[in-house]
Amino acid sequence: MSSVAASTAVNGFTQEDRTLDLYEYEAKKIFSEGGITVPPSHRITKPEELAKVHFGFPVTLKVQVLSGGRGKAGGIQFANNLKEGKEKAAELLKMVIKGSKTESLLVEPKLNIHRELYLAVTLDRERGCPIFIASAEGGIEIESSDKVITMPIPNPYHPYVGRELARQLGFKGNLLVKVADVATKLYKIFESKDLDLAEINPLLVTEGEEVLALDGKITVNDDSIGRQRYFDGWQERHLLDVSERERRCKMIGLNLVELDGNIGILCNGAGLTMATMDMVKKFGGEPGNFLDVGGGSDTEKTLEALEIVNSNPDCDVMLLNILGGITACDEVAKALVSFIKKYPERTLVVRLRGNNQELAEKILAESGLKLIPDIETAVKAAVEAANKVSKKPVGAKA
Amino acid sequence: MILIDKNTKVIVQGATGKMGSSHMKRMIAYGTKIVAGVTPGKGGTEVHGLPVFDSVREAVETTGATTSVIFVPPYLALDAGLEALDAGVELLVLITEGMPPQDTAKLVAAVKAKGARLVGPNCPGVITPGQCLIGILPGQIFSPGKVGMISRSGTLTYEIALALTDAGLGQSTCVGIGGDPIKGMGYQELLQMFNDDKDTDVIVLVGEIGGTAEEAAAEFIKKNVKKPVVGFIAGQTAPPGKRMGHAGAIISGGKGTADSKLAAFKANGMHVALTPAEVAKLAGDLLKTPAKA
Repeated sequence: MSSVAASTAVNGFTQEDRTLDLYEYEAKKIFSEGGITVPPSHRITKPEELAKVHFGFPVTLKVQVLSGGRGKAGGIQFANNLKEGKEKAAELLKMVIKGSKTESLLVEPKLNIHRELYLAVTLDRERGCPIFIASAEGGIEIESSDKVITMPIPNPYHPYVGRELARQLGFKGNLLVKVADVATKLYKIFESKDLDLAEINPLLVTEGEEVLALDGKITVNDDSIGRQRYFDGWQERHLLDVSERERRCKMIGLNLVELDGNIGILCNGAGLTMATMDMVKKFGGEPGNFLDVGGGSDTEKTLEALEIVNSNPDCDVMLLNILGGITACDEVAKALVSFIKKYPERTLVVRLRGNNQELAEKILAESGLKLIPDIETAVKAAVEAANKVSKKPVGAKA
Repeated sequence: MILIDKNTKVIVQGATGKMGSSHMKRMIAYGTKIVAGVTPGKGGTEVHGLPVFDSVREAVETTGATTSVIFVPPYLALDAGLEALDAGVELLVLITEGMPPQDTAKLVAAVKAKGARLVGPNCPGVITPGQCLIGILPGQIFSPGKVGMISRSGTLTYEIALALTDAGLGQSTCVGIGGDPIKGMGYQELLQMFNDDKDTDVIVLVGEIGGTAEEAAAEFIKKNVKKPVVGFIAGQTAPPGKRMGHAGAIISGGKGTADSKLAAFKANGMHVALTPAEVAKLAGDLLKTPAKA
């Protein structure tokens, strides 16, 4: 199996869009609860706490961040004694890697590595099923390795699948059974916790043929969190690296992505929002955000969305593009009336068409707001208005 | 036309819920042959003058329905889908948004094993204009004609249908396959059906960023599709690493970019449109061109 297939699978989900990626220590806790052996560890948030570590020196100190590339950035250090450990811990706790702040340090005994593997379960969007991704070579950038095996996982799962994987990785005897067992347990965790990704990298094989998870990564599926009581409240405390506005949207079920321009975009439906954004750019404007209010939004939700777009300090013009299928145009119109009352000076370009359009026109008749029926005309009008308002080149913010 | 026509008998799962009930009414008004609703515990009652059954089996045995449109909440969608399959339903149109992808994967596997068909989840549905509307699409935007459409989006499908209709170009069937990364019917299966459909002369494929399904579809088209195909990709200006609304719409690890998809379209003989208006223009020009022998 080619590495292209594997990296597609690994990247098919939202690893970079880390809405609920877990820290290493959280992933290991879940591995351990699922019966996978992990090294003894101690989590610290202050250098002094290193004195409480129960397994003695030398130790490995690992920053707990949500971004990748931790090792390369110097986020993993070794210490031979308490003094060295405290000094290094103080530095490590201040680290910010790719915009992600260090939450804490995980301290583990320094282990002798005999052999490392890569093992992960994820959903493969092209094949439409969960797959194992594994490599007899671990601790690596899996995307750039050519020794990767991928294996579709049948439903329902049976342990023979794990044994077949271990066999294909080249294991025999006792180790075949042990690696297969870890694979099976990893799949069970993946399934029972509704994960997008459960990854052990590296999976360590010791001289004594012990198999343990030395590092791990878990991504919880966004849509499934509601039925996973285990993760209650986790989402909020993991939203450390997103803007306040993005966090506000996340919590009320709006999809916001911040962009650099000055035209605030608000549409219903992801595809239409993307297409509107593309057209703004095509006709010479710069989108300030992507905001999808979703289908069937009522007055209240639409108003909240308008407020969010409005609160972007770089936004000069707001462009609303609503094509009402399940969304009723009159609900949107009511939100617009309230919004215009509150912010009469705001430049607003509105394209509103579809379900209950006549009602919407009646509601908006007094406001003086002109509805544009056609998307291209609306986009061009917004770009023209934005270019008039803002003579400064976009991107050259004070 | 493909998948559905004026004779397709449809049941509504989740018929007594707010969304199921309101869209059931609209589908009936459009002329779709809706024959019953299903809501466990509400058997024996009526919705919009039609009988409600406790189970899909009962509904199918009584009405002879072959198709089900599903409006149940996301965590109940797998159960509802499996129930429909088990009752012999041949086409499932799953509108529900927010279904856990592992549930979808299980449903997709069951659908394949039964030889049935699934459209969705997180999709607007299917319409054969003038004959049958299944889902939440606004019927008034569509008109009967020769253009077949396959799309990963909802409202963008309406936008393009509107552009086609405004340009006097009707549609044979439009299928919204949904914006989730794991889903039922994909481009290739539907491309094959449109290719074999005598009522379709031009095919419009509406994709978006994320995954590699559009690239695979382009290669499939070069090998297997004789009819002209117009391709459109939403998210040409999307930043990498950000999920653009749909769970499946993300450029990640350098994969799934609009550029890669548009390049694949061009390399495989498709016609590339960059705006909804251009889709209509290209489709119109292609319809005027005599078909290849």
